[in-house]
Amino acid sequence: MVGADDITTPAGVAPDRLFKYWLIVPAIFLLLLVGLFPLIYSLIVSFQNITMMEVDTSFAGFVNYAQLFKDARLWEALLHTGLITIIALPLELVLGLLMAQLFLERMPGRQIFVSLLVLPTVIAPIVAGATWRLMFDHRYGPINQIIGWLAGEPTTLLWNVNPNLVYPAIFICEVWQWTPFMFLILLAALSNVDKSLTEAAEIDGAGYWRTFFKIVLPSIWPVMAIAILIRGLDLARIFDVIWALTRGGPGTMTETISIYTYVQGFQQFETSYTAAIAFLVIAMLTIIVVWAIRRMGLAK
Amino acid sequence: MNARPPFFRRPGIVLALRYAAAVALTVGFLFPVYWLFIISFKTPEEIFAFPPVWYPKSVQFANYAVLFKDGDAVTVWNSLVLAGVSTVIAMVLGTICAYSLVRFKTGGENLAVWIISQRMMPPIAIAFPVFLLYVFFGWVDSYHGLIILYTAFSLPYVIWMMRGYIEDLPLELEESALVDGLTRWEVLWKVVFPMVRSGLFATAVFTFVFAWNDFLFALVLTRTEVITYTVQVTHYFGGQSNFWAKIAAMSVLGTIPVFFTVAVLQRYLVRGISMGAVKG
Amino acid sequence: MADLKITNLHKHYSGVQAVRGIDLEVASGEFTVLVGPSGCGKSTLLRTIAGLETPDGGTIEIGGRVVNYVRPRDRDIAMVFQNYALYPYMNVFENIAFGLRARKTPQAEIETRVRRAADMLGITPLLERLPRQLSGGQRQRVAIGRAIVRNARLFLFDEPLSNLDAQLRDEMRSEIKRLHQELGTTMIYVTHDQIEAMTLADRIVLLRDGKIEQAGTPLDLYERPATRFVAGFLGSPQMNFVPAQLAQSGGGWAVKVGSDVSLPLPARQGDGLSDGRAIVLGLRPQYVTRANGSHRPGHERLGVTVELVQPTGSRAYITFPLGGVPIVAELESHDVQRPGERIDLDLDMNRAVLIDPESNRVI
Repeated sequence: MVGADDITTPAGVAPDRLFKYWLIVPAIFLLLLVGLFPLIYSLIVSFQNITMMEVDTSFAGFVNYAQLFKDARLWEALLHTGLITIIALPLELVLGLLMAQLFLERMPGRQIFVSLLVLPTVIAPIVAGATWRLMFDHRYGPINQIIGWLAGEPTTLLWNVNPNLVYPAIFICEVWQWTPFMFLILLAALSNVDKSLTEAAEIDGAGYWRTFFKIVLPSIWPVMAIAILIRGLDLARIFDVIWALTRGGPGTMTETISIYTYVQGFQQFETSYTAAIAFLVIAMLTIIVVWAIRRMGLAK
Repeated sequence: MNARPPFFRRPGIVLALRYAAAVALTVGFLFPVYWLFIISFKTPEEIFAFPPVWYPKSVQFANYAVLFKDGDAVTVWNSLVLAGVSTVIAMVLGTICAYSLVRFKTGGENLAVWIISQRMMPPIAIAFPVFLLYVFFGWVDSYHGLIILYTAFSLPYVIWMMRGYIEDLPLELEESALVDGLTRWEVLWKVVFPMVRSGLFATAVFTFVFAWNDFLFALVLTRTEVITYTVQVTHYFGGQSNFWAKIAAMSVLGTIPVFFTVAVLQRYLVRGISMGAVKG
Repeated sequence: MADLKITNLHKHYSGVQAVRGIDLEVASGEFTVLVGPSGCGKSTLLRTIAGLETPDGGTIEIGGRVVNYVRPRDRDIAMVFQNYALYPYMNVFENIAFGLRARKTPQAEIETRVRRAADMLGITPLLERLPRQLSGGQRQRVAIGRAIVRNARLFLFDEPLSNLDAQLRDEMRSEIKRLHQELGTTMIYVTHDQIEAMTLADRIVLLRDGKIEQAGTPLDLYERPATRFVAGFLGSPQMNFVPAQLAQSGGGWAVKVGSDVSLPLPARQGDGLSDGRAIVLGLRPQYVTRANGSHRPGHERLGVTVELVQPTGSRAYITFPLGGVPIVAELESHDVQRPGERIDLDLDMNRAVLIDPESNRVI
């Protein structure tokens, strides 16, 4: 190593040194608005005591956070959210994978099928919910009609009210809208699997399932993991579809964390308490997301 | 003599089976879309017929005419303005930010991870504090309020996607332009932007669709003036009876542009929705 | 006057020292080639000269002006990149005119200068084409055209031929040499290919681990390498290195290889020669020839058994053992037929290089 004394450099500053910062300043400013501001603001408000009745901005300590632990409805909402995620995600994944397998090999007109199948995914979720609200209508909707044909007698199932049917209704809508998403991504991932790998496995005597689990799955895993992450986080904040189908009902049976937060903040006007919930949700998800992104090396 | 393969292994049979499955799947997945569209063309008698009418006797546009007559269709215009303006701003700010992240490694990996993690935040947890802020500023139910929020919420996606596209660019082109006499800003406008224009276009369209499809932010931050079509659709929901024709017609108005987009963007679809995980 | 003067230049990337204390002067009109193995810092040095990297220490002067912190665009340089760096959405004319437009040159002058450059390079018929419609060699010409049209003080080439196939590379090499003769501009050329370095350079600067190993004319470096590294880097096939010992023999010195071979050195004096000193004998394959009866001064005859024959057409590389290492000699192709043959060879000891095995410097 050469000591600093040995190196003489004329005084001066490299031009354009600030250029890279100018480029990110406006974007970062806006990102702080949705990234940092809500977090800090929620934190502040959550230590106050603002409700519909009174605006008390004095320091209220941890009352709102203590409340979180006693709030059975909140934990149920978290449970519902978790339930929906845990059931819908594997369904979408497996169905998407099966569909991708079906379309993996070339067939005339494949591109047309794929383009059509993708349509549900790009519809606004609230419109998807509205569509299924029409589909599920107990009297004029086609679903009951078709079930009636199969059953041989007219049926009038109340899909968005009957406690036994609300979750199936939500799952059907979710899976309908997002299986094509999984399908499209997995189809692309499967198409990119190096053919010589599977051929070599075949020659080595591996059967279909062995080849799939030992060769294909590891090859598509990086892409699949990202699809799971994107969908998993979408499901964790599910709002639109449920809003359209059940609004969290009957009672609070299908209330998710997003719906519950909305109800607390915009219908009950429990400002400080909602802030505490928002802070909890942001904190929880930030930890999960950052962990997942780093784990998957998404940032390269 | 060649033994014929078993029945279910014969190429013709396999292809026929695959076609049958493909057609069944497509019909199944598209039926709800079909249903939505035909309701919008049905007469009230057809909508409320029992058993349901599977296809309308004649196509009529009365359901759409009503939307325009009542002024409800303006919500589609609102969606267009909000999504359009926020997309343009997000594209400009996001692309130059992505350029800085890629070329100068500004902020390192931590900044990149933080930015993408913002994409994953639940909108409601953001919407609530932002709502309180907007009440304070008097920005609720205003174009600029929602545009700012949409822009900010779109930025992580734009930055993330453009980062991928810019990484694909050869660095030497920019260096060559620097030596040839361009300033850093000129390199950005005259070399980088033209080089990534297809990625820019694809990303812009997706950004637009995400904002266009948003419901929650619009629900929370609008009252009467800048309601979007997604919020308007839910206004037709009733406890016992729904305004079927209006739900369908408004939904179709909001969905047609999105379908059109997908048709145009075939090539970039996978890369766009997988957030760059699959490069098309 | 020196067009480029570099003093004690340092540059490191995240702790890795890429350039460590380089001093270099390039005279006006000189064709200087920076050569060395990958990772030797030659590209970093060039990029620092171009202003694409900022030095961590030392100074760079172009035309007498310190340019450490001057933007690339203000350095009066032109550069040709390895991947040609052509703008894919501009046609050839616009690509060549790009630098002139950036400097707000009048349209009429752009027109004449681009045409003149295109004529010089024989790409006038291609001016309307897009880069993707060109072959590799044509792209390279366009890239060079973009550089020469600027009339810059300093031309920088960053491995411009390494993406071309062998035949095109030869062709473009002579093209660049011809251009330098016509233009007379100062050129700095980076390559890892020693043949390019030898054929193009007025002066070769051989770098290793971020430092200059030796600088001089191609023949200087070839005939009088300063270190074992230089001796091994230039020349193909590589110089042979044989572990040996010095011994007093008669009135002069001889190199003893193993126990039975003694090769007397032609009269030479110098310090550091001592009896029994361990050395490495360096001998180029070209300086070993088939013995043909007459004895030439300084040539030592050696009977060897051929182990390997690699014909290349006009010449044949043969391998034989000496002092426990395989030695390669470049002979006429008819000199030897098959392995196992015993032949007599003449070793030209006038051209032998003696290297100190400790310091790896040439004695």
